[in-house]
Order: sequence, then C-alpha cells, then structure tokens
Amino acid sequence: MIRLRGGRLYDPAQRIDGEVRDLFVHDGRIVAPPAPGMPVDREYDLSGRVVMAGAIDLHTHIGGGKVNIARAMLTEDHRDNAFYRSGLTRSGSGVAAPSTFATGYRYAEMGYTSCFEPAMLPVNARQAHMEMGDTPIVDKGGYAMLGNDDFLLRLMAAGADQKLINDYVAWTLHATQCIAIKVVNPGGISAFKFNARHLDVDEPHPHYRVTPRAILATLTRAVHDLSIPHALHVHASNLGVPGNAATTLATMEAAEGLPIHLTHIQFHSYGTDGERKFSSAAASIADAIDRQANVSADVGQIMFGQTVTASGDTMAQHRNAGHAHPDKWLCMDIECDAGCGVVPFRYRDGNFVNALQWAIGLELFLRVKDPWRVFLTTDHPNGAPFTSYPHLIRLLMDKRFRDEKLAQIHPEAAAHSQLASLNREYTLYEIAAMTRTAPARSLGLADRGRLGTGAAADITVYRDDPDREKMFRTPEYVFKDGELVAQDGRIVKVVRGATHVVRPDFDRGIERRLRDYFDRYHTIRFDNFPISPDELAECGSREILVHACARPQP
Amino acid sequence: MPTNMSGPARTHAFDNVPCPFCGLLCDDLRVETTDGAATVVANGCAKSRAMFAADAANGASAMVDGKPVDLATAIGRAAHILRAAHRPLLISAGTDVAGMRALIELAEHCDASLDHVNADTLMRNLRVLQTTGWISTTLTEVRNRADLLVVAGTDITRRFPRFFERFFGEFETLFDVGARELWFLGAVPDGLPAGLRSRTRSLAVEPDRLAELFSALRALCSGHAFSEEKIAGVPAGLLGELFGRIRVARYGVLAWVAADLAFPHADLAIQAMCEFVMKLNAQQRFSVLPLGGSDADLTAQQVTTWQTGFPVRVNFSSGAPAEDPARHGEADAMLFVCALDARRTAPSGDVPSIVLGRAGMRAEVCSVFIPVSVPGLHHAGHLYRADNVVAVHLRKLTGSALPTAAQALQRILDTIREPH
Repeated sequence: MIRLRGGRLYDPAQRIDGEVRDLFVHDGRIVAPPAPGMPVDREYDLSGRVVMAGAIDLHTHIGGGKVNIARAMLTEDHRDNAFYRSGLTRSGSGVAAPSTFATGYRYAEMGYTSCFEPAMLPVNARQAHMEMGDTPIVDKGGYAMLGNDDFLLRLMAAGADQKLINDYVAWTLHATQCIAIKVVNPGGISAFKFNARHLDVDEPHPHYRVTPRAILATLTRAVHDLSIPHALHVHASNLGVPGNAATTLATMEAAEGLPIHLTHIQFHSYGTDGERKFSSAAASIADAIDRQANVSADVGQIMFGQTVTASGDTMAQHRNAGHAHPDKWLCMDIECDAGCGVVPFRYRDGNFVNALQWAIGLELFLRVKDPWRVFLTTDHPNGAPFTSYPHLIRLLMDKRFRDEKLAQIHPEAAAHSQLASLNREYTLYEIAAMTRTAPARSLGLADRGRLGTGAAADITVYRDDPDREKMFRTPEYVFKDGELVAQDGRIVKVVRGATHVVRPDFDRGIERRLRDYFDRYHTIRFDNFPISPDELAECGSREILVHACARPQP
Repeated sequence: MPTNMSGPARTHAFDNVPCPFCGLLCDDLRVETTDGAATVVANGCAKSRAMFAADAANGASAMVDGKPVDLATAIGRAAHILRAAHRPLLISAGTDVAGMRALIELAEHCDASLDHVNADTLMRNLRVLQTTGWISTTLTEVRNRADLLVVAGTDITRRFPRFFERFFGEFETLFDVGARELWFLGAVPDGLPAGLRSRTRSLAVEPDRLAELFSALRALCSGHAFSEEKIAGVPAGLLGELFGRIRVARYGVLAWVAADLAFPHADLAIQAMCEFVMKLNAQQRFSVLPLGGSDADLTAQQVTTWQTGFPVRVNFSSGAPAEDPARHGEADAMLFVCALDARRTAPSGDVPSIVLGRAGMRAEVCSVFIPVSVPGLHHAGHLYRADNVVAVHLRKLTGSALPTAAQALQRILDTIREPH
C-alpha cells in the first residue's frame, strides 16, 4: 500500500479541481482509504504538489515502417542526440525520430503513461507492435488504417452492404490488435497510385469512382455500428493546401452527425486570404467544432526547429517533397493497403507560412471552447517532437509568454493572426482534461486518465511552478501501474507497458471473402496475416487489455 | 494445427508455411515433418527444399576448442571471452527479430561493435536513403499493378527463385496490367517463364556504367537530346527505346539487388536510379524496388534502426550507439550468429571467436561453437521480406533440443552479468 498524502488533485473525471486529497495505491490500482490500522508501506508527502493521472498521447507516431524509415534516414538527428546506457536504461539516440527505448523513457520522464500510434497499416501492424514492444514503460495502442486499401474500395465500388463492411472493419481490428480505425486522405493514397495528384472530398477516385465523402460516411457508420469507442480518426484530404478549411468542413459534414475525430487539424485550417494567398481559417474551424458535438480534434501544433514528417499520405508528402530539409525524402506505395512518405522538415519562425502555422495551431487551442473535444498533440514528429509538449503547455497557460513568442515570429504572420487578441489561459483543470481524461474517454479506456477508486495507478506528480514549461518538463514523481518509474526527470524503474485493443463482435463469414481475395491477389497467405495474442506477446507486449465496445458517456 | 497423418513414422503436415531461407519469405509452402526432419512437399524451390531438409543433424553438440562440451560449459566460455575482451565484434549472418534484440543488448553491454555480414551491401542503399531518398513500392503492388519491370544489373531468379512466378507473371491481378514487359539492364537470367520470355528485352550494359546510363535517362527526361552514338556503351537508339517504354508505363518498377551491384561506388549507380525515378514521378508513376533480405540482413537493419537509431554497423564503446560504417579498429574477440544457413562460416581471424550456428556448420576452428535451432523450423520468430516492409511471422514446425539464438545470447549475457 502506498499513500500519496496531501497533493492537490486535478481529476476532471470526478470534477475535482485542485482539491487537497490523499490517494492510496495497492496492486497497481487506486484504492479506497484503508481501514485504520492497515499498514502503509510507503508514504509520499505531496503537500503543495499538483497531482494528475498519467498523461495520454492519442496521436504520436512511435512505431511502424515509416517511423523506422525516418530513423534510418535522419542520421543527423541520431549523431547529434546520443543517450548513454545506465545501469537501468538502454542506450539510444534521436529527438525527431528517437529510437524506441529513448521514446519510452522520454515519455515517462514527462509524466506520460500511454501512447497511441495512429497510423498502423494492417499489413505493417507486426512491425509497429514490435517497435512498440521495445518502447518501455508506457502503454501502447494502434489505430488500423483503412480507406485506401483495395479490399475496402472494391467492396464500396461494388455497392457492398454496410454490414459486410462492418465485418471487415471489425476483422481488421482483431487481425491487427488495434483499438481504433484511422483513415488518411480517404481514397487519396490509392488514387496517387493511379497518378492522381489531388482528390477532393466530392471527387471520384480515378479507378473505383467512389468519393472520399462516401468513404468517410461508410467508415464513420462502421465505427458507430460496431460501437468502437473512439470515433473514426480522420486525417482529412488536402493536408497543407491553402484553402483546405473548406475541405475540412466538408469532411466534418461527411460524418452525417456520427462521431468523427479530425486529427492534426492545424494542417487543415488554412484559408487563401491575403497577398500570399495563405491565411488562418482557425476561427471558422474552431466554430465548426464547437457547434458540432459529434466532432473532436487534436491540433498537431508545429514548433520551430528541425523535425521529420512521416505520414501515410503519399499524395501530400510527394506534393511537399520540394520543401524537404535536409533535401532528401521518400515515398512508398505499400501492399495494396496504403503507403507512406517521409520528408524531413525544418519549421522556421522567420518563414511566413511556418510562423502562421504556429499561430493557427495556438488559435485553434484557444478558440475551441470545450477542452474535452480538443487534444494536445504535435502529431509527433510531424509538427514537432513530443518533447516539446511542456513548452506548448506553457504557451497555452501563459498569455505573457505567448505574446513574447509571438513577437519573435515573422511580423507579417503575426499581423495576419488574431492570436494576440486571444486572452485565454488554460487552467490546470483544462490541461488535465485535454491530456488525460478526455483522451481516455475518447478511446474508451475506462480505468485510465482518472484518479478515482479502481483506476489504474498511472499518476503524475508535479511541483507547482509558475514556469509551466519547467513544471511539465520534469514531474517530481511518475507512477505507472502503481510503480514509481520516474523521479525528477530520471527513470528509476523500467517496466513494460500493456497493449490496449478493442474486439468488436462480427460475422466470421467475412473471412471466406477475405481468403479468396488474399488467394487471388495478395503475396501473404490469409492464414499468416492476423496477429494472434501469442504473437503479440512475442512482439513485446506485456499484456493485452481489451476494452468494451460501447459509446463513451459524456 | 498439424494434421496427424497415419503411419508408423508420425508425419505431420503443415500448410502455408513461411520459408525463412531467402528474402522472398514465400509463405505458401507445404512442409511435412517426420521425427524432426522436414520435407518441402509443395510450392518449394531448390533452395527451400535443400534448406528445410538440411537439419537432419539435429543433435549437434556445443564445442570448446573443437571438443564437444555441454551447453553450460560453452556458454561459460563464451561469457569469459567477451568479458575479457576490450573491443568485441558481434556479427549477425542470419537471425530473427528476437535474435537481433538479444544480440544488440549483448553488444551494448559489452561495449562492442555490431555488424552484419552483408553490411557493405546494405550500405549501398542506405547511403542513398540518407542523402537522396527514393520513391519505392512493395511486392503486392508489383504483383497487381506493374506493367513494366526494369531490372538493373541483377540476376533476380538466382537470388529469388520464385520471383516471377509470384510477383510478375501471367496471373489474375487487381488491375489491368496489359501484356507485362520486362527489361534487363545486363544479362537475361535463365529460368524465365516462357510467356514472359517473349516479352523480355535486354540492354547490354556493364554494371559499373549504370550510373552513367541513368544519368543519361534523367537527361532524356529533362528533354535533353544526345548526339553521341553510344551512351554508357549502349547504342543511343536503344536507350531512347527504353526511355520511350518507361515513359508510357502506367506503373513501372525499377528493381535491383544491391548485393549484385558489387563494384566501387555502387551507391552512385543506385543514387542515379533513384533520382531518375523521382524525376519521372513529376509526370507519371514509377517506383524503385530495392530488393534484399538475404541472411536476414533487412531484419538486422530494421531492429538495429529502431533500437539504436542507426541502421547497421553500430559501435557501443562510448556507452551510446554511434555509427561506425568503416568499422574502425581491431576487434579482440568475435561473436558470429547464423541460425539459417549451416554452409556459412565465420570470418577467420586470430582473435577468440564464438559461433552460434545452425547445426552442421563447420565449427572446428572457433573457440566456442554453440549450435542453435532454426527460426521457422524449430521455433517461431519474425523476419523481414525482400522489400523491407513486410514482416512475416515464422512458425515452429518441429521441436529441437537446441536453444534459439536469442536464448543462447541471453544466457551468455546473463552469465556475463553474474558477479565474478
């Protein structure tokens, strides 16, 4: 039994906003106060400390083929950032594309206890799970990518029944050991294989003639019908294209009122006003999110500096390849399943477009009123490495600090942005909601992101420092499943994380159709495609945590 | 699940078995096992038939200085050698993901250098990835979309016997590929399917002139016209014909095996190929297909990349991984792990050597020999396919008394860590 005494708790799940309370931990869980006389093995005096659940990153590229390509490509990042082994920890390297052990340690040191890889190609799920198996301490989960795979597009082109598509979606979750479904540039990755260079929401696919709108409608329906907790996770069409705010609004509309999550929405909130034909459309996007309760988003904030963009969106990555810095890039068509593109990138505060991207992301954070429907991400590493989260939190919580930074960016971009007029400062309660409770609820993790009795004891303890960057950079204590894993920014114990999945019911009849498809076209046999629980353990997962398929309760 | 065939010898039959013995990792084999001996009975090639069958000598013994010992003695001796060494060199030559994980942990603990027997080959492609990049594709895409395949300086069938049967032949495809066409830049290999043979063209070019040839193709792509009669030793007319065919491809693919491009500065030829294909994609779709996977080299590269941040040839002597492409410095002990091919032999040298090898490997010359079981035959595991994207899960078909490479490496590490 561990007692965490006298900390100030921020737990939006219980509407606790800075109340001083004790927490008791036993066998990896938060438990009710013990009966008098029950021995407490260890007590931590947390007076004056801020206590939150372990943070959850619901969109971070930490595993899978494209991440490893980024690592292999970015020798500079690894040469310049070496991590030495200790008695406890393994060595590693890299910040933009960190090696796996380093990824787990850096997240845990910052108080994060769960990370979700948002773009797992079904055919590449093994690799992602193996990389995540070598990412210590934090729990992991993956989103299976559909919507550019030839199996689904063929079904849709043939007018298949929604029920059949639902079965395929459910089978995919089982076969890939994933927790959610993602679509990247619906139909666009496939269209690029047919030499299409753009595919707008209502533009028919060059071969299948289905539109991105239809793909979005079909997949949001499938996710809804199967009661998968997390809404369809959407990387919308036209990423990075000036004027794409219209596409983004059309994408929201395509969900027809069903739950939809728009990811890295900063990259999708651009207008065409002004001399440079590039402007912020954050106000209209934020307004659309506020108006539509079925919509959630994560921001994908950019930060200035060197990073690497790794995405399934070959169409967009090929379009942006000319901006590669350093000048090298890769695109790949993958297995009639999807694709990937890796483009190193340096965001510069003196560059008008980059500076405005930075301001647009912050505007979105500050304009969306409901912290339960906007999540804190940099789309690691696409907008910035995840290690920049503490800096980002300070930008959100500290208007004066934000204004100082705004004064340093390209003056025209600053002038074009309404950021200076936004006075909002996030509270600790709102930060706790957007980085813990809300992502847990969105993903259907019933026992994470909260500090109530029965919750997993993933707990982060901060010193209450007015410099919020410093505070969130180095928590005093981080507990994972009740074990102290990090203290003052150092790893003190290495544990292995679990894998979060959902397993919706479905009709196994779909397997006959899949087997026929694999036999005729694929280069892997159908029987060798799915990942069994035993194989997931071989990949390195400590255990599989299966979450119920039920709609999240507000 | 094995289906028990009747008969005194207890034969088990397995379908859809992945074959770990070349980069293609064909996973449609039918294999029968009888008392630990495996026979490929369907969908094999000469290589897979020989390699699955090669393991009759299951009971090979561990050895120290050429004399049989028990496993614990061999592990103890291996640990002693590594503990005494200041600059050990650990070389993989065929082990699965689990084996690589264990090898890297051992290398890190021993401040060792990590290498792969095919490192020079891997680096030909990696140098291009790290300076230029590419637009590439994978085998299922090739199977279903490619209407033109250009093969540069590579005897694709010798290395990958079933390549054309499985990926570029006359079979049902998702998309209309027309009458598929094949161009060889270099010699046309034997054993092409008859139908494809009639649609095969070739162009005689010396491998070390491929860089020149592709630079010229890139110039043609930019609208440059040549007045020379020959370019890279190839008649300009023929080159123009190839370029014309490339230009009208709907989904063209340019393949090579870096191991076959064994000439000085081969990376420049690969770079020229990649730059040409990148340029083509301004107008059309065309992809490169760098093929590898021999001796589990891509598996080694993948695991080393995700665990250390560097793809191959990593040195841990500082306590952090550092790239060491030229492999500086003399090793004072060597460990070699090869669980797939018993015909491989460890590089010879004057330093104490530890070999973890498939049973049947020549082992008299090393200080310590530890026979290990075979992934995909004796134990499950993962390997990466020739296109460096798909990981295949290998199956256990029959038991073995031998440890896996990962288990043996872990025992060596545990012994080194014991207080002494």
